[in-house]
Amino acid sequence: MTLTVKEELIKRSPLRILEKSISGGLGKGNIGVLASRKGVGKTACLVHIAADKLLQDQHVLHVSYASRVDHIVTWYENIFKEIAKAPKMRSALDQFDELIRRRVIMNFKQDGAKTEQVLRSLEAMIVHGNFRAETVIVDGYDFAQAGTEDLRMFKAFAGRLGLEIWFSASLKKDDPLFDEQGIPFELVGHLAAIDVLISLQHHGDHVHFSLVQDHGRRTPKALRLKLDPTTLLIAKESPVRAR
Amino acid sequence: MTTEIARMRNIGISAHIDSGKTTLTERVLFYCKKIHKIHEVKGKDGVGATMDSMDLERERGITIASATTNVEWDGHSINIIDTPGHVDFTIEVERSLRVLDSAILVLCSVGGVQSQTITVDRQLRRYNVPFIAFVNKADRVGANPVKVRDQIAEKLGHEAVLMQIPIGLEAAFNGLVDLVAMKALYFDGPDGETVREEPIPAELAAEAARRREELLDAASLHSDELMEAVLEGRATEPLIRAAVRRGVLSRKLVPVFIGSAYRNKGIQPLLDAVVHYLPDPSEVENRAIALDDGRAERVLAADPGARTVALAFKLEDGPYGQLTYIRLYQGSLRKGDELVNSRSGQKIKVGRLVRMHADTMAEITEAGAGDIVALFGVDCASGDTFCSPGLNLAMTAIYVPEPVISLAIEPVDKNSADRVAKALNRFTKEDPTFRTYVDPESNQTIVQGMGELHLDVYIERMKREYRAEVKTGMPQVAYREAISQPVDFDYTHKKQTGGAGQYARVVGRLEPLAKGAFEFANEVRGGRIPREFIPSCEKGFRAALKKGPLIGFPVIGIRVVVNDGQYHPVDSSDIAFQTAAQGAFRQVYMKAKPQILEPIMKVSVEGPSEFAGNVFATISQRRGVIVSSAEDGTFSRVDAEVPLGEMFGYSTVLRSLTQGKAEFTMEFLKYGKVPPHIAEMLTEQHLEAERKKSQK
Repeated sequence: MTLTVKEELIKRSPLRILEKSISGGLGKGNIGVLASRKGVGKTACLVHIAADKLLQDQHVLHVSYASRVDHIVTWYENIFKEIAKAPKMRSALDQFDELIRRRVIMNFKQDGAKTEQVLRSLEAMIVHGNFRAETVIVDGYDFAQAGTEDLRMFKAFAGRLGLEIWFSASLKKDDPLFDEQGIPFELVGHLAAIDVLISLQHHGDHVHFSLVQDHGRRTPKALRLKLDPTTLLIAKESPVRAR
Repeated sequence: MTTEIARMRNIGISAHIDSGKTTLTERVLFYCKKIHKIHEVKGKDGVGATMDSMDLERERGITIASATTNVEWDGHSINIIDTPGHVDFTIEVERSLRVLDSAILVLCSVGGVQSQTITVDRQLRRYNVPFIAFVNKADRVGANPVKVRDQIAEKLGHEAVLMQIPIGLEAAFNGLVDLVAMKALYFDGPDGETVREEPIPAELAAEAARRREELLDAASLHSDELMEAVLEGRATEPLIRAAVRRGVLSRKLVPVFIGSAYRNKGIQPLLDAVVHYLPDPSEVENRAIALDDGRAERVLAADPGARTVALAFKLEDGPYGQLTYIRLYQGSLRKGDELVNSRSGQKIKVGRLVRMHADTMAEITEAGAGDIVALFGVDCASGDTFCSPGLNLAMTAIYVPEPVISLAIEPVDKNSADRVAKALNRFTKEDPTFRTYVDPESNQTIVQGMGELHLDVYIERMKREYRAEVKTGMPQVAYREAISQPVDFDYTHKKQTGGAGQYARVVGRLEPLAKGAFEFANEVRGGRIPREFIPSCEKGFRAALKKGPLIGFPVIGIRVVVNDGQYHPVDSSDIAFQTAAQGAFRQVYMKAKPQILEPIMKVSVEGPSEFAGNVFATISQRRGVIVSSAEDGTFSRVDAEVPLGEMFGYSTVLRSLTQGKAEFTMEFLKYGKVPPHIAEMLTEQHLEAERKKSQK
């Protein structure tokens, strides 16, 4: 019973739209980046992506630079609460305890920890800690401070251990943020190591997603997705309201 | 004579184990002239620190039971409760926090904010206790008080501000710069008893000025008057003190003091700080529950003239008889007063009233609101509230966690047996988390507690204080059983063998209960079971739950609904319905798919980052789930949830894996389902034991 509810929840998730748009998903060994200005909703998106993986019984390693662990825990609780508000999904919340056992939060300070050291710790968690992560979420990573070499190390790490790694990138420079191809100026130097690049922007009172780079293809296109301002969930662009 | 309330302080000294709080307390007693000689914790002089009144504490260098003591400083009466630092004894910490108005959080200059500090900080937050910080051991190699201040800000999220800067550090630590008075302080004399004031050394002048700026910035957020004064360049000592005090009382500012208790440095300024910055009892709001008025909350008035409300927070069976420590929240207490215990309704008469030193006492005739004193010869339990007749208030009960571990003990000889009984009787009265019972089947005495160390300490105390030697079994995890699906029952108990017969029938169902241990619902209509026998049914089910049929552990998370039944006008009785209830339970229990639950502990491991991989591995091997890890340069902390059954001996394993550089704390989190292979093993063991018993 609950299983079918869960399956339905997974099937109907707006994240399936995202996957379809990026040739079936990010894929193992690849790096995905969500880029926007501060406060647009990158963390919410990352946690939604993580929650969706957890619902599919996958293991998620949430790496955070800056945020405190208890704040991150609260993010997940809220996102799951919102997901469980869907019809018939209350039972999904009962499984929250079970699902959350497949998530580990690792906290670092970027100025204190070198990328080598961070990757060593991640590998220790996956190998010694016997934590079979499939997806790694990296939030609060400062692309401006990092060298181009650092992201390439993450990419190699993802390839070696068969991981999907999603980053958030906070854009801090003055306007214009993007070049004519929609690529954020601040990320141009890292582009070689990025497989999927999505930018988030305010349009009126909604946040819209545009796909800037998709596994080597560089044709900017708008995704049929938005960020729901009340639930902070990724949602379909024009949701079919109660008929 | 009662002390004027503004000159009263009730403080606790809370800290991580080994940060030196017992040594600190010892120095406080010395400078307040309560003791005439300083004894070290692990004393070479064989006497031991005064606050650790138990031999065992002397030997292990840790503080177990909190002793309260009263000192005088600068015309103020300060009650100090020395609190234990180890997590196994948190009931003691929580009990003392409940009755304190404020605290000194002691941190180590080298270790800084450690996992236990975080636990203590959480407790201070829960009871809304304002505090100041004392960064101890500034004389140690690697001491860095400024970094500790940063950690208080970052890891605990407090606005922490330095009130002093050290003059020299490590072996060269020899004084402090007071940033309020802008003077250097040195501690002279063989025991540092003379405080010498000097101008600030030239080489520290710039840093002192900068740190004072920071202090003024932080303090002026709490006082417009100070803010103006700072802008006009005329900030005075009283203005700064008043502002800091306001920040502390609202828990928005943590002033940080520095010193080395062991080297007798920085203690007198800390005592001044207690007087300057910590609240008197009237500045703290305390609430009681009105038992007559639908449990509405009442704010108590710290007024000696009001009617009396007092909380018994600790019992101690000392050499002079039973001693009850009480905190007066409202009104006064005089010899000969009559009080009512609001839990039992029992009246007591106040006999001897004493003020406690660590293990000596002073007789007093009266005490006023806010004070902490002890009574003799009062029969009560810890957590009871005493009120003036006519008032019916209860101070909120202190949360008592359920024990998670048990151990079978057996006296080595007949002489010991009596003494063991006496010791157990006393320990259980003193400590509500330590329990004991005799297993009716094995006839063994079982003790229960909060962890391995917790039980160890009591076993040792039996030996030392009661000369009672016991053999101990393997520690046993306190498992629980719970059903996972509803099931109906219909059971008839019938017995007709001459004389009075027995007859009772109960019909209803068992249901899993998500929250809580047990619920009983009576849905019987039309008197199918007479009302007087409904409590008999409940009693019967309660009795059956004590020993689950699956592996013999208590059943929790269950709701019993009785909705039908039958009785016989002559043969039905209380006993008949109790027996029927038990029979019904046993008959259908296994159909409700029972599961075994085990205690899951919240475990925190801290140590150098290089060992993080090892720590991950030990947790994973113990069926643990890593919740998070945090790396801060070379130091890392891992938080995990691990079944208690897998944690025995963990301290030894961790020590050898990390060359003693990592340490861990754990506390009970929840009950969780046991994995199938272990459930199977436990069930088989239980069956085997049952088989053996029936063969006997």
